[in-house]
Amino acid sequence: MHISEGVLSAPVLLTGAFLSLVGLAIGLKNMKNEDIPKVAVLSSAFFVASLIHVPIGPTSAHLVLNGLVGMILGLGAFPSIFVALILQALLFQFGGLTTLGVNTFAMAMPAVLCYYLFRGILRRSKNTAFLGGFLGGGLSLLIAAILISIALIETEKSFISIAGTLLAMHLPVAVIEGIITGFVVVYLKKVKPEALG
Amino acid sequence: MKITDILFNFLIFIVIQFIFFSLSTDANAHKVSTYAYREGDKIFGECYFVDGSPCKNSKVEIYDAKGNKIFETTTDEKGKYSFTIKEKGTLRIVISAGEGHKAEYKLEGIREKIEKKEAIDNVSLKKEIQSTTPQQSIDKEEIRKIIDETLDSKLQGLRMEIMDLRKQMDKVTLKDVIGGIGYILGVWAIIMLLKRKKNAS
Repeated sequence: MHISEGVLSAPVLLTGAFLSLVGLAIGLKNMKNEDIPKVAVLSSAFFVASLIHVPIGPTSAHLVLNGLVGMILGLGAFPSIFVALILQALLFQFGGLTTLGVNTFAMAMPAVLCYYLFRGILRRSKNTAFLGGFLGGGLSLLIAAILISIALIETEKSFISIAGTLLAMHLPVAVIEGIITGFVVVYLKKVKPEALG
Repeated sequence: MKITDILFNFLIFIVIQFIFFSLSTDANAHKVSTYAYREGDKIFGECYFVDGSPCKNSKVEIYDAKGNKIFETTTDEKGKYSFTIKEKGTLRIVISAGEGHKAEYKLEGIREKIEKKEAIDNVSLKKEIQSTTPQQSIDKEEIRKIIDETLDSKLQGLRMEIMDLRKQMDKVTLKDVIGGIGYILGVWAIIMLLKRKKNAS
């Protein structure tokens, strides 16, 4: 899910960086001070999730958990994922510093999108909360796969084939993440409903 | 002002981090790694992901020192690749593992060493030709070949060990994970502190 350094061309990198900067600015502006510990914990969760490999297909796919971050933080997903990606790039060499913008946007944007799409279902009642979390967690990852494919159009030439492999590879991961997000959301709704904003 | 200040502080932090890390680690490292070694004209290599799993059926491209593509092959089921090449200069091996993953390895050239070796050999050969019959100089060639072959087979184990060591080095350790979480909490603590100061003033 992380695009390495030297794969993308400068225009793609700059577009990604610009879009991410906009997201970061809005995310940080809307972030309340008392929300920051929550953001930090989810940053850490995102950071560690990439180490959990799911052995599927030719390459090894790993958990991303961008949906979980998005469903709980909303717009705060941008800064949260950005910080986690910096450290993944520096410590694990996942992705790279130049592709930080593209990677941040590709993973945070679907998360924010799903937050606004499924917020209603999540809040309605306890029974629909799991469904909202599942859909949000799973779809965020799949949309992220599509965004990554778009970024790779230039390099891979055939959009359909790259999007196909990425989607097929991440479909099982999306189901797993959907379930994780669903349970976390239900648990939070029971124990600390105000955490879900 | 608030956001720009925070972003500015954050940027400084990132720059400091970047300088610190670029000193200690390879700035060109990737999630996919590869390693290769020479054995006469043959080159053997292996490509793998951070967790040690092989990089199957990926395109391997070999460039010479001038940046021209001179050879192309693919990795097998175990992530290994090998090819025969006459070029003795520095080679750049680029592996595209697909989905935006890419690995690079620079294989140093061996031309200079061989030339030196030959030069020394020529000198010694001339001396020998002066003193002995040419029969022995042919024997010397053969001896060198035999030594090369035995050395290659003996070094095979050592090479495998180096490959394993490299794989170990690329693996993410618990230390990295715990350190990373610490950094993340630290970064957010700084952001929180800055925000709080702004609110208080």
